[in-house]
Amino acid sequence: MDSVRVDTRRPPPATSRELIPLKVLVAGGFGAGKTTFVGAVSEIPPLTTEQHMTALSVGIDDTAAVPDKTTTTVAMDFGRITVDEQLILYLFGTPGQSRFWFMWDELARGAVGAVVLVDLRRIDDCFPAIDYFEDRRLPFVVAANAFPGTGVFGDRAVRDALALPEGCPLVRMDAREPGSCMDALVVLVEHALARSVG
Amino acid sequence: MTPGGRGNHDRVVPVYAFTGGRTRAAGQDLPLEAVVCATGLSLASGGALQMESRAIVEMCARPKSLAEIGAALRVPVGVARVLVGDLANGGYLEVHLPRTADGDGGPGHAILGRLLDGLRSR
Repeated sequence: MDSVRVDTRRPPPATSRELIPLKVLVAGGFGAGKTTFVGAVSEIPPLTTEQHMTALSVGIDDTAAVPDKTTTTVAMDFGRITVDEQLILYLFGTPGQSRFWFMWDELARGAVGAVVLVDLRRIDDCFPAIDYFEDRRLPFVVAANAFPGTGVFGDRAVRDALALPEGCPLVRMDAREPGSCMDALVVLVEHALARSVG
Repeated sequence: MTPGGRGNHDRVVPVYAFTGGRTRAAGQDLPLEAVVCATGLSLASGGALQMESRAIVEMCARPKSLAEIGAALRVPVGVARVLVGDLANGGYLEVHLPRTADGDGGPGHAILGRLLDGLRSR
C-alpha cells in the first residue's frame, strides 16, 4: 500500500519522501521484561497508548456473568527506531493478558515478527504468546531474559521445555542492555527474512 | 497493563466529545504504526482547526505514528484514529501505510533486507 492522498489538487506535503512504517511485537508473560526491552532500544522515551475495547464476554472470562458487553482499557508500551530515511520501526509491547486476543490480531497484522521474552523461572507465562505466533505463522524468536539463576538451564532443555519448533531461534539476552536487545531484533529479522519469499 | 487502571482521571471532557460521538474513522482503519505527516495545507491554514486537530497537525510537522499521536494527546488510539482520518480526508495530513507483500501479511523480502541492514549498522 502506498501513501493515501485523498485529493490530488491539495498542496504538496511538507514531507515529500515516502515513509514505510514497520512493527515488531514484544510479547511475553507479566514481568518478563517487555517494557524494559522496548525502553532499551527505543530512540524516544517509551510511550503508552491506550486502547478502549468493547468485547463480548467469552466463556471462562470473569465477566461471563455479565450478559452484555464489557468495556475496558488496555495500555500498551511502544517505542520507535528510525532505521533509515524511509523505514521507521515501531516496537509494541503486547498486553500480557491472553484474553485480549483480538487486540493481538490487530497488532500482528503486517508485523515483521515478534520477540517472545521468557523468564526461565516462569516459562508457563510465555506459552500463550508462543502458541499464538505459531498459530498465526508469524516469525518469532524466543529471548531468554537474564534473570538471576536462569543461566543453569541449557539451550536444549529450554527448547524442550518450550516445545520450540526446529528453526525457531532461541537467544540468551539481557533486556536491560540495548546492544543485547538489538541483537535479538537482528536475529528476528534474519529469521523473518529467511522465511519470506525472495 | 491494568485494565481500567489508566485513563480519565485528569480528563474533564469525555474523549468521544472530540470526535462528535463517532468512534469509527471516516477513512480506512488505520493501523497503530501508520505514519502521518502534515501537508502544505496544514502549514498554511492549520490555525483554523479546532484545538485537538491543530495539536495533531503541529506535532506532525515531523512524522508521527498513530500510536504516538494518541499517546501525546493522551487519548485512546480509537479517538486519534478518528481525528487523523478526518484530517487526512481534509488534506491536512498525509498518511503512510505499511506495505504488505502479496500473499503473506509481512513486509516482504526487499524491505526486510533493508531493515536488517539498518539494524546491523547501528
